[in-house]
Amino acid sequence: MISRSILHFGRQFGTFIGLVFLCVILWILTPYFLTVSNLLNILEQSSINAIIAVGMTFVIITAGIDLSVGSILAFAGVVLASTLEAGVPLPLALAAGLGLGSLCGLVNGALISFGKLPPFIVTLGMMSIARGGALLFTSGRPISGFAESFRWLATGKLFFIPMPFIIMILIYLVAHILLTRTKFGRYTYAIGGNEEATRLSGVNVRFHKTMVYVLSGLTSAFAAILLTARLNSAQPIAGIMYELDAIAATVIGGTSLMGGEGTLGGTLIGALIMGVLRNGLNILGISSFLQQIIIGSVIILAVLFDIVIKRQSK
Amino acid sequence: MKILIIIMLSISFMFLGCNRESEQKGEGEKIRVALVLKTLNSPFFISLKQGAEQVAQSTGVEMIVQAPEREIDVEKQMQIIENLIQTRVNAICVSPSGSRELLPAIGKANQADIPVLIIDTRIDETAAREQGIETVTFIGSDNYQGGKLAGEYTGNLSDNDLNVVVLEGIPGHETGDNRLQGFTDAVKEYPHIKIIASQPGNWERDQGYNVMQNLLQAHPDINVVFACNDLMALGAMEAIMASDKTDQIRIIGFDAIEEARKEIQLGNLEASIAQHPEEMGRLAVEYAIQAVQGKSVPNYIPVKIELITR
Repeated sequence: MISRSILHFGRQFGTFIGLVFLCVILWILTPYFLTVSNLLNILEQSSINAIIAVGMTFVIITAGIDLSVGSILAFAGVVLASTLEAGVPLPLALAAGLGLGSLCGLVNGALISFGKLPPFIVTLGMMSIARGGALLFTSGRPISGFAESFRWLATGKLFFIPMPFIIMILIYLVAHILLTRTKFGRYTYAIGGNEEATRLSGVNVRFHKTMVYVLSGLTSAFAAILLTARLNSAQPIAGIMYELDAIAATVIGGTSLMGGEGTLGGTLIGALIMGVLRNGLNILGISSFLQQIIIGSVIILAVLFDIVIKRQSK
Repeated sequence: MKILIIIMLSISFMFLGCNRESEQKGEGEKIRVALVLKTLNSPFFISLKQGAEQVAQSTGVEMIVQAPEREIDVEKQMQIIENLIQTRVNAICVSPSGSRELLPAIGKANQADIPVLIIDTRIDETAAREQGIETVTFIGSDNYQGGKLAGEYTGNLSDNDLNVVVLEGIPGHETGDNRLQGFTDAVKEYPHIKIIASQPGNWERDQGYNVMQNLLQAHPDINVVFACNDLMALGAMEAIMASDKTDQIRIIGFDAIEEARKEIQLGNLEASIAQHPEEMGRLAVEYAIQAVQGKSVPNYIPVKIELITR
């Protein structure tokens, strides 16, 4: 157990060095990078992806994948927005959005655990179903214009820290405790490590696996709240391809696609790397096409770097 | 847990090290204008960019052109604007991916006292006024008017009954909706025109092809196709050619991109609505400079729109 946590520490440390390295390079290249307002800006921009990546981390630790997070985000967003528009009090509207996200996750989880279908297929299907649901629900139109009290969730500041970042950190703290201090967390790792052995040792694998997908739907819905408040609008076409950013953040953060390994601290660093990179490339005024090549290369390099560190710490 | 603490600590260190703001550029430096587009992979926006760059070069303005990876990604467009604000550009010209969704980003530019010029696609001006968000001007042509031109042209094609199918853009997308609305409003005036199908091709050439193929299966008696952009029109053209119905079906596109103009010359496309993206780009930079210099700029700068045929 001790050697395992050292290993984890080593892996995260590698990713963390990567983040610092990236920041130093940008600091040398441009005077606009290392300013208080820009760093706050990055934290705000990274929050949505970081929150989606929480659920994605749990799912990938069980050796699964969730391709439907972007579509669930859009669906939960339009449900939240339409309930707000109908004059439903804020807490109830939030609950409606979060409930819908969890429900989509429940369908994913049930089909994967009880229907024994591959996660890739089920969530690929849900990706299309939830997107269609969002479009149908709104007839394709965005829903915009909300009260300040709701928008504050994304635009507000506590002292000088942007709200999205605070919400993101709270979600990470709760999820971190869930993953490292509870039975649910231990089973999550165990399922990813060896599902059959976990089942034979008397764990209700099907139930736990289902709950992992519910969690992923739930964090997507949390991200939907922030995105809707940030844009002051819920679009049925929001979140397209967000699953790739979330998977990238998770994998950069050292979670293995083979399952059984991964930490939320790593995922958070992964999401920050993505955020810093996008911000830095914008600030440097690099061509949009080149940006995509650079982002792709960094994802591969980060994972490579991570594997090298892992080998050395063995 | 350790890791979270490390992150927190290092973030606070970064804040401590934040003193490079003083290294700003001095006065009398070049004017820096940012051009934020919906995408850089469509001919329309490439022309717009070229027009802008020409003016930038001749006037000695530094030009920064950025666009999200995906045309519909308003959140990324918002991030780009936020990031450009950090570099203190002197003016931002933006073609909004969402007419309301981008308002918060424009609001942030307002706070930073950076003038914002809207090009190509309007923002929701009522919502902007309500939220106290200000823009310098709108430079663009009226998509509704363009759709109407296409509709009127269709109405005058023949006195016989005509069955029309429409290829729409991405549902809920302002530009496409306006073109579509203009078109349908215009053809209402002509009782012999019947729209028998209207399906989204999501602005894409391959989807234009596929949707057209499907529509040809369902409706053997199509006479006219109106596609809300040329890429879909060109896709539809291929599908129609593959099914040997070129003589029966006339295709009208939108944007008059170079390839579409060629096909119109060849007689494979009937017509297209020409916007003048290069002109838009040129005007954007010219007026951005005026705005930076504190000169007054009219709040609407129309760019001509016309129907072109062989």
